[in-house]
Amino acid sequence: MEQESEKYKKVLEILRNSQPVLDSTDDIENEVIKRISKINEPRPNLLNLIDFLFGWVYIGWVRNGLITASVILVMFFIWQQSIILKRIDLLSRQAIIENVETISNPASEVERGIMMYKLSGRRLPSRNLTISEKQMNQLLDSVNELQTKYKDLIKLIEDDPELKSSIEKKLKEHNQKKTKI
Amino acid sequence: MIDIELIEECRDGNFNNFRKLVELTSPMAFSVAFRILCDEDLAKDVVQETMITIWQKLKKIKSVEVYRTWIYRIVVNKCYDELRKRKRHPEFVTDEQTWSLISNRVSEGPSAELENKETEKVISQLTNRLTPKQKTVFVLSDLEQMTNDEISEITGMSKSGIKSNLHYARKNISEMIEKYL
Repeated sequence: MEQESEKYKKVLEILRNSQPVLDSTDDIENEVIKRISKINEPRPNLLNLIDFLFGWVYIGWVRNGLITASVILVMFFIWQQSIILKRIDLLSRQAIIENVETISNPASEVERGIMMYKLSGRRLPSRNLTISEKQMNQLLDSVNELQTKYKDLIKLIEDDPELKSSIEKKLKEHNQKKTKI
Repeated sequence: MIDIELIEECRDGNFNNFRKLVELTSPMAFSVAFRILCDEDLAKDVVQETMITIWQKLKKIKSVEVYRTWIYRIVVNKCYDELRKRKRHPEFVTDEQTWSLISNRVSEGPSAELENKETEKVISQLTNRLTPKQKTVFVLSDLEQMTNDEISEITGMSKSGIKSNLHYARKNISEMIEKYL
């Protein structure tokens, strides 16, 4: 047993004396510096982001598959969101006009506005109606102006009996022509 | 001897000083890697990888005093990975030439030394039947002459674990020496 231990010690001593020699320190240095320089090179942000998100996947094809799937999902999400935003925008424009209808203010101007809206609504399908608030106000102003002028005209006709009788005569003739046709 | 100031400068990102650090650190890293892996080229690769890891994580170590232990820990972990990759030998193959080489060197006396290739063969032959843990503990304790505390810090093993692994490693190697030498 002692002899065996002696042999072991001798072998061990030889191995301890035989320090492994690294003959190519320069090669290792150069290679290490080269690789570190590569690591230190600025990488595109996209690559950094991909590494951050998918760095935990070591199998190449799984990583590529995940990247592709996520890109498709993100694109689908953006497309869906753009459609939803368009619909919301359209609905909000319609809501401006509908709100006018629900205003409880009994002012005659508002009521007239609603009437005009309804008239135009009959002509245009509601989904295609894209009247802005400004346009609506312009419309109401012109209706008011028209109504004032109409009142003035009626007053003028009633004040002048000759003009009144002349107009009545003209209207009768006009109605007769219509009946013939 | 590695200068603490040099490590501090490298921690600040001094690229030129890191070349010096590589020059000083590579031989000790190579010694352990070579003795554990018994493969010169693979050991050089491990040294390169270790140096790159050092550059990347040098700022993270709490104090420069633990630098030496920290390097050995990186090397040992990388060697473990390499050993795990290797297929285990199904049967132990005795190499007569290696045993005669050991016999010759033992007869030459304690001053005998081995070249890298010879050391590779001798350690490989002696530790062929050891597990990666047993081999690592044997190399660190009996060849690199580290204390159990240091080995515990490097490998993360408990002291009792180190003792038992070392016991089995020594027993196994002694039996082989007795049988073949």
